[in-house]
Amino acid sequence: MRYFARKVAFFLATLWAVVTLNFLIPRLQPGDPAEIMVKRLAGKDSQLDPAQVQAMRAMLGTPDGSLWSQYTGYLGELAHGNFGLSYTYYPFPVTEVIGQAIWWTVVLVVVTQVLSFAVGTVLGAYAAWRRNTRFDSVVTLGSTFLGTLQPFWIALLLIYLLGYTLGWFPTSGGYEAATPGFNGPFIQEAVSHSFLPALALLVVTPIGWVLGMRNTMIMNLGEDYIRLARAKGLPDRRIALGYAARNALLPSVTGFALALGGVLGGAILVETAFDYPGLGRLMGEAVENKDYPLLQTLMLLTTAGVLLANLVADLMYGVLDPRARRAQS
Amino acid sequence: MLTRTMSMAATGLVAALALTACAGSADSGSGGAAGKGMVAQLTFPAEVTGAAGGLGDFNPYATQPLTRFWVYEPLIIKNGLSCEETPWLATKADWTDDQTLAITIRDGVKWSDGQPFTAKDVAFTFNLGKQYAGLDKAGVWNDTFGAPAESVTAEGNVVTMKFSGNAAAKYDEIIKQPMLPEHVYSKVGDPTKYVDKKPVGTGPYELGSYNGRRLVLDRRPDYWQADKVKVQKIVQEGQYDASQAALKLRSGELDAYWGEIPNPEKTFVSADPKVNHFWFAPNGMTVLTGNLKQKPFDDPKFREAVSYAMDKEAMSTKATYGIMKPASQTGLKLPSMQKLLPDSVANSDTVIPFDVAKANQMLDAAGYRKGADGKRTNPDGSPLAVNFSVQAGFIDYQAIADVIAKGLNSVGVQTKVTASAPDSVDQQKKTGEYTAMLEYLHGGCELARNIGAKLSSKQFPTEKEVRSNVGRFSDPQVDATVAALEKATDQAEQKTEVGKLVDVMMTQFPVTPLIYAPTRILYRTDKAVGWPSEQDPYANPSDDRLLVLTRLSSAK
Repeated sequence: MRYFARKVAFFLATLWAVVTLNFLIPRLQPGDPAEIMVKRLAGKDSQLDPAQVQAMRAMLGTPDGSLWSQYTGYLGELAHGNFGLSYTYYPFPVTEVIGQAIWWTVVLVVVTQVLSFAVGTVLGAYAAWRRNTRFDSVVTLGSTFLGTLQPFWIALLLIYLLGYTLGWFPTSGGYEAATPGFNGPFIQEAVSHSFLPALALLVVTPIGWVLGMRNTMIMNLGEDYIRLARAKGLPDRRIALGYAARNALLPSVTGFALALGGVLGGAILVETAFDYPGLGRLMGEAVENKDYPLLQTLMLLTTAGVLLANLVADLMYGVLDPRARRAQS
Repeated sequence: MLTRTMSMAATGLVAALALTACAGSADSGSGGAAGKGMVAQLTFPAEVTGAAGGLGDFNPYATQPLTRFWVYEPLIIKNGLSCEETPWLATKADWTDDQTLAITIRDGVKWSDGQPFTAKDVAFTFNLGKQYAGLDKAGVWNDTFGAPAESVTAEGNVVTMKFSGNAAAKYDEIIKQPMLPEHVYSKVGDPTKYVDKKPVGTGPYELGSYNGRRLVLDRRPDYWQADKVKVQKIVQEGQYDASQAALKLRSGELDAYWGEIPNPEKTFVSADPKVNHFWFAPNGMTVLTGNLKQKPFDDPKFREAVSYAMDKEAMSTKATYGIMKPASQTGLKLPSMQKLLPDSVANSDTVIPFDVAKANQMLDAAGYRKGADGKRTNPDGSPLAVNFSVQAGFIDYQAIADVIAKGLNSVGVQTKVTASAPDSVDQQKKTGEYTAMLEYLHGGCELARNIGAKLSSKQFPTEKEVRSNVGRFSDPQVDATVAALEKATDQAEQKTEVGKLVDVMMTQFPVTPLIYAPTRILYRTDKAVGWPSEQDPYANPSDDRLLVLTRLSSAK
């Protein structure tokens, strides 16, 4: 029980640190949101019109007061679940803006992550079982090569090849003429629009799992208990899956939880390339516009996601592996 | 260079032919009747980002209205290039004295819900800005550029704005403001926070549908100048970067695009020179601004000398593929502002040529001696080094900065370029801690706000605000000139004051104009013709889209 209590306490402390950093970091950077908004509306080559900046500042209500009073105010608002109005999408509340975007990313990312985790671990396990065969070298070398490519670059390649040259898939947006909601035409459009972004992510994301799984599995295959299992004459399949792979999976579980939480980073560029209406794009935009309320909420959401995933992984680890529980209690 | 000019000429010829064709078809299809001479649909990029689909807001004063052009209309449209006015919702706006602006409102204009548009709507819109400073984008009620307003009242079809002093410099912004319907916006509480889902505008289009991504706008048959609107439907969707936009334009999925596409001749026009056109019109200029509070840029002789060490042709080629031409040292965009030039320079070439020998000679004469290592020192013997700040990621600026550094180094002025994030460069503008940088000088019609503000000591950047006079040029006489220009309401007076500023630019080199910066449009003529072009510059292609729309007609 102490193990779990410790983990929860650690989670809360980190959350506080994150919330505080989240407040500080945007404010330490140069740039005035009102000026940036006006400049953005007018274009890069434009003189800032002081009257417009003044109006924008009045509208957005630029923070004033000491840093400390801003901080306490911020904590109070957070506690009430009040995240403020977005600057970029003024006068929409941040929660509404995020609410629009989140499902796109959640579906895209969860599907690709689960798929790449499954594909990656299976490939890695099989490569380890058949190590030093041709299959192994193709998978290992291939992954190492693909791992050096950027999802963004792959995205551009896919847009050009599958989108423009062959014209098989739409290259921008999340949907077209259909009304969003649970209806046939919309789902069809959404799926066909998410195909290329998903593919761009799927080329790269399994690689970590392939290599990680292969390495731990090979280590496990050298252990005494495997030799024992072989000596007992257990079938290969059972040794591979039930003994070696199961134990090799443990580090990947933590990794998977972390990857799910921290995936937004990789999604920013891919979503931008495909004009995909998800959180990644939103975040890129929030950074560009110094949209503090939106940026803070997004960062809070992602960091809280990572922390929560971490906590779940820690707790699960305690269940999966009795040694972890015992060692720390 | 020659081939480019020739192909530009060819483009122009095609455009001219297309225009004659358009004139022909306009005759047959006039009268506003649907069908003949009409364009079924044009597709433009979305004006708002697609990241948050479904957040539809037409409130023209929000940060991201779905459209800034087609629903709510301004009082008067002033062509940002030629500075000619086209009366719109107002038939005229005159200063009855230098503190009172009388705006006469057009009769017979109807809101899209059928209610008449009146002078009371106009007064209502401006008075909202008094209550909610966030709506006061023209600065009517505060003292930025001219005195604040005291009252805005409507009587009959005339709106009278009374200011507490001279407010002539506010005029151009006042006529631009989108007019709101009083019968809708008076009932919505704080209008800055109002989400306008069902817009009621005076404009040529009304909301057809919006699904969070694709905005469909339908032509209003009861629009007050419906006979001039030949496009039945406007669809706006998607936000594209340069390469995506070029692909969409080539395939015809977009009919026009206003963003930056590098080398449009090659990426767009060459795919189909008969249909694909672009026009990048000079709208301002990129200028070199030195820190005039520090050595060496505090010395006008130094500023003049190094102006000859800048290869503007090379900048034009490297930063804009030769499209944007070297800029005039007068600080005015030429030729569209030719008529404002004072006689002293009217007939001479005001673009400073690239002349290394002359730069060397002037630097020698000014006491910047060359050492044994070929590097010059300040007249007092201290080392001379220029650290050039440039905005990282502004590719054109970086190309220009490299050319400048090369030129300065070649005349013995040791120069290096430091790229940093645009926000940091803005920060340097605020603190004044820099040696030299590139920035923008807008060539708009309100000269007091542009070239004037660049030279006025009242426009020094503050710790909190970037203002125009980044170099911190300061001269009481120039301040007086700018003040007079702000107040000037007639053209002869304006010309005299502008002439004085031009003289300052030509003799003291407070900033060095390099190349013109564009306002852009790229368009296809397979569906609609009548777009603005170099031969027919009737509108600022990006800002005056309403004006452009009323000139479009079917290509068939």
